[in-house]
Amino acid sequence: MTNAMTFEHQTFGKRLKTMCKVDFRRMFTQPLVYIMLGISLVMPALILIMTTMTGEGAGESAEMFTNVWQAVSSLSGAGGGMSLTSMCNMNLIYFLAAVLVCVFVADDFRSGYAKNLFTVRAGRADYAFSKSLVGFVCGVGMLVCYFVGAMIGGAIAGLPFAMEGFGVGNLVACLLAKVFLMAVFTSIFLVMSVIAKQRLWLSIVLSLAAGMLLFTMIPMMTPLDATVLHPVLCLAGGALFGAGLGAVSTVILRKTSVV
Amino acid sequence: MNAIEIRNLSKHFGAKQALAGLDMTVPQGAIYGFIGENGSGKSTTEKIICGLLLPSGGSVKLFGKDYTDGDVRAKIGVLIEQPGCFPNYSVWNNLLLQAANLGIQNAEEEVRKVLKIVRMEGSASNKFKNCSLGMKQRIGIAMALLGDPALLVLDEPINGLDADGMRIMREVLVDITRNQGRTVLISSHILSELEKIATHYGIIRGGKMIREMTAEELDADCPVFIALRAENMELAETLLRRRFLRVEKDEERGLLRVYDRVPPEDAARYLYELGVTVSEIFTQKISLEEYYTSLMHGEVRA
Repeated sequence: MTNAMTFEHQTFGKRLKTMCKVDFRRMFTQPLVYIMLGISLVMPALILIMTTMTGEGAGESAEMFTNVWQAVSSLSGAGGGMSLTSMCNMNLIYFLAAVLVCVFVADDFRSGYAKNLFTVRAGRADYAFSKSLVGFVCGVGMLVCYFVGAMIGGAIAGLPFAMEGFGVGNLVACLLAKVFLMAVFTSIFLVMSVIAKQRLWLSIVLSLAAGMLLFTMIPMMTPLDATVLHPVLCLAGGALFGAGLGAVSTVILRKTSVV
Repeated sequence: MNAIEIRNLSKHFGAKQALAGLDMTVPQGAIYGFIGENGSGKSTTEKIICGLLLPSGGSVKLFGKDYTDGDVRAKIGVLIEQPGCFPNYSVWNNLLLQAANLGIQNAEEEVRKVLKIVRMEGSASNKFKNCSLGMKQRIGIAMALLGDPALLVLDEPINGLDADGMRIMREVLVDITRNQGRTVLISSHILSELEKIATHYGIIRGGKMIREMTAEELDADCPVFIALRAENMELAETLLRRRFLRVEKDEERGLLRVYDRVPPEDAARYLYELGVTVSEIFTQKISLEEYYTSLMHGEVRA
């Protein structure tokens, strides 16, 4: 009974691979992600159809969408103020992503699954990386659903698809910038989630508060008339924030108790 | 080599001191019964061992390595409080998830194996939230057994189990230590069950280890006594007290206990000669529960 034990060394890559496998399986076997994707698909269609109907009935007092692309983003010259068309666009998805990430992480702690996980995994970096990646992929999925929903809603509402002041290249750059920006947001939401742990309400409040602070910056970073520079900057920001905030999440998990 | 070696471990929760310089040694291959009152620091110690709580001071070594070592930690199975399962997942899927976490290659086969060990093969498709408390505890054990752990940390694993469940648990724990060489750290308030399986004991009070011993040492420490029932218990007690040094009443079972080292027939004959008929007499050792109670009340020196 006194023989020395030998332990198999687990590399970071191997741990990360298993963690990602588990997280992706978990995420895509829970109904919440499909509900969120559904909401992302239906929301723009409803916004476009409802506001168009309201606009026709209520006359001049209600601001209405005059172009399908307004549901995606606004032109850089539009300023991105507090108007309906600049607020009710694809940027709302970042808030939905906050709910998804917070519920996903809080579930780990509420169910006690985190106890199993962190007992057998001393490192926390793979957890932070995997959660960010899953959140990012789902967030991108929601952006895609929103885009599809906006196109369908625009067609149903009979809104014009004419591109005024920007081209297809700008639109692609805008969408790419939004995708890369999702990495920044999911990293922020992850930090808030690991701070709050099983307190879902706190993680959502913190994430929405942080999201609100950055909300006015999104139109500037991802305008409809985006150039190559916008996605490049968002990619750099996404990578930097993703790595930096991922490290912050890792440190929080390492320096605080799991239960 | 020791499976667990804890030195001067302390833990504060604000002003409250949960652990105050705890020392603990769990030899490899032992079933270590960790005993203490509620709030004595058992769960805190176990959570620190599992890396779920950060200690305020002291050192924890697992198989000679620091407890934060990832390679060692991958070989710990744990059941603390309740099993960490998703309520809406089936038993099977919860176990598969943990198997995936551990990077087990043939996960399905492994899950089938641990379900068989805890006799839960027939309940694999049940949703976790629909399982009874006893079933949940067994699922927790199955989960802890995944990945061939070298050390199992079990906090109150027999709570909520029926007699059959306790027997199964006992058989499982004995099998995995004796036949598979694993180490088990188990805390429980059901001392009568613990006594049947533990090879080592640690008794904690106020965040400090007050006694560590092997089952043999406990055996030697637990005195043998004569228990008897007589027709006239009051007279029997008076007479026994005149003759023997330590006589106690076992109110619960309606017996008299004589702790002096005398053959039972001598005690029976003594009473008979004085006109008291003994209806029942036997020798017995004091149980772990009684030993523990005596220790807590200061009747046994720590």
